[in-house]
Amino acid sequence: MELVIAIFIGLLYASGVYLLLRRSIVKLILGVFVISNATNLIIFLSGGITRSGVSFIGDEAEKASLETMTDPLPQALILTAIVIGLGIAAYILALKYKYFETTGTHDLDQLSKTDQK
Amino acid sequence: MIIALPVFLPLAFMIFAFLFRHFHGREYVALGAAALNLLISVILLMEVNSEGMVKMQMGDWPAPYGITLIADRFSALMVLVSAIVFMAAMAYSIQSVDTRRKSFGFYLFSFGILMGVNGSFLAGDIFNLYVWFEVMLMASFILMSHGGERNQLEGAIKYLILNLISSFFFVAGIGLLYGKMGTLNMADIAQKLMSYETMPPELNPAFILIFVGFAIKGALVPFFFWLPASYHTPPPVVTALFAGLLTKVGIYSLIRFYALFLHQNSEFWQPLILWIAGLSMVIGVITATSQFEFRKVLSFHIISQVGYVVMGLGLFTVAGLAGAIFFLAHNMISKTNAFLVAGYVHRQKGTLNLKVLGDFYKEHPLWAIFFFISAFSLAGLPPLSGFIGKYLLIKAGIEAHQLGIAFTALFVGFFTLFSMVKIWMEVFWKKTPEKSAVPIIKTVLLDDKPVNISWMKWSSGAMAIIIVLAGVFATPIVEYCTLAAESLMQPSDYINFVLKNN
Repeated sequence: MELVIAIFIGLLYASGVYLLLRRSIVKLILGVFVISNATNLIIFLSGGITRSGVSFIGDEAEKASLETMTDPLPQALILTAIVIGLGIAAYILALKYKYFETTGTHDLDQLSKTDQK
Repeated sequence: MIIALPVFLPLAFMIFAFLFRHFHGREYVALGAAALNLLISVILLMEVNSEGMVKMQMGDWPAPYGITLIADRFSALMVLVSAIVFMAAMAYSIQSVDTRRKSFGFYLFSFGILMGVNGSFLAGDIFNLYVWFEVMLMASFILMSHGGERNQLEGAIKYLILNLISSFFFVAGIGLLYGKMGTLNMADIAQKLMSYETMPPELNPAFILIFVGFAIKGALVPFFFWLPASYHTPPPVVTALFAGLLTKVGIYSLIRFYALFLHQNSEFWQPLILWIAGLSMVIGVITATSQFEFRKVLSFHIISQVGYVVMGLGLFTVAGLAGAIFFLAHNMISKTNAFLVAGYVHRQKGTLNLKVLGDFYKEHPLWAIFFFISAFSLAGLPPLSGFIGKYLLIKAGIEAHQLGIAFTALFVGFFTLFSMVKIWMEVFWKKTPEKSAVPIIKTVLLDDKPVNISWMKWSSGAMAIIIVLAGVFATPIVEYCTLAAESLMQPSDYINFVLKNN
């Protein structure tokens, strides 16, 4: 299972980088989203993929043993990373909208006004 | 408890600024909060200086499990210097930022940067460090595009994409590191690494990813391209704030990671870091000489000066690290002040193109002196603070038998002087050209220009005085930096202090 997810992460990174290298700003932004999710999956994978019980120890008699318990920390981390990713996604789309309103273009090659002439 | 305040105070101000967006005294409340932050950081520094280290476990969860906030001498000094820089920027902004920007949350997001920066300096947990980086980055993204001018939006897109990629590198590295080590606490990771004879090779991908993340944030060669493409677009005070704080956080984290983790594999990392330091110094300073925009010249110099700090890290001796810490603190203040003067020039002339400026010394001699002090401190002329920083670093380089890097640093110093003299001649000394090839494009950012500029003058003047004082009375600061460097060289103290449970 780990191998499948690892290959999947690799594919996501590859497509993300492909999108980053396109000329259109929309595709660039989509590339950022794809890479962001691939990174979240890396954190997810770092905890190990096991078919196991709940990841906390309750007061009930049915206490999870260390062997059957999943690591709860990556799940908490990934949640944080997803929330941050969501905030950034909202901001970056708003920025793109404003940029399109101001300049009427979404061609990355037009982003040369701030470079040295 | 005092250690949590540099994070909570900006948060409290942000809540206030969000609730009272149209309150007219907001500038002065912001200035007051910045002054309070400065006071807190002085108290923190005194406490750290007497006790060595201060820590706090958030929510009272014990060390490897809960989130640690820790201040040693290095981080306390960084918190203090960023408080000074922030205070100056807040005072400067009162009369240099337009009302529209102020009422759309300029102060809210400035304090977001302060919160992220302070949090990064005090974090003792790598994921927590990532979260503080994101807090700082989100606030800086917004300040970068705040106001929505065309240049700003362009600069913001470049800044945003490259910094996001650096965050992805960093967080992917954290994921891999957690997968191998099973802990996120920096002291715990360092302790586990020490128990190995040699660094396990499966950790290298994680460290390389984290290193690249920090190198992009710290604008090191070859990852610096976002910086000169974006730093000259926002209002001058925002550039000053960014130049003083943002790249320095990346470098701070790199020093912390190197002292705790990477030095255990120093035969790989040390030559790499020295090479990157040398290339950053040379490439930054040489590209700066070809620029003809005030803020762009200074932006390229950030890359070169970050190289000096990393050079001190690459030597990894007590003297080298002490020099690096001193240079980092000096650079935050001098660089910010150089940008503050650039902001004043922009306000008076409406352009920062060196070719069309002139006569500034005749018209505004006081500001010319402020620029003279900060620019020649950057170039390393005695008795200013930059001289002490460069002297310590070069001396440490010669003592460590790294003559190549020491002579590179000397040689780069001459080019820095060349660029600073160029700005001085073009902006302050020469006569304004009557008919110039480049037409002046008035891009004045201010909608209302109050005649009174006393706050701007005071903030820039205070920074200039600090630069002179830090150069003349350098001995106690250098002693403090040496103590900080010694404790960085002894990671076992840090580890024991964090992991010991009260």
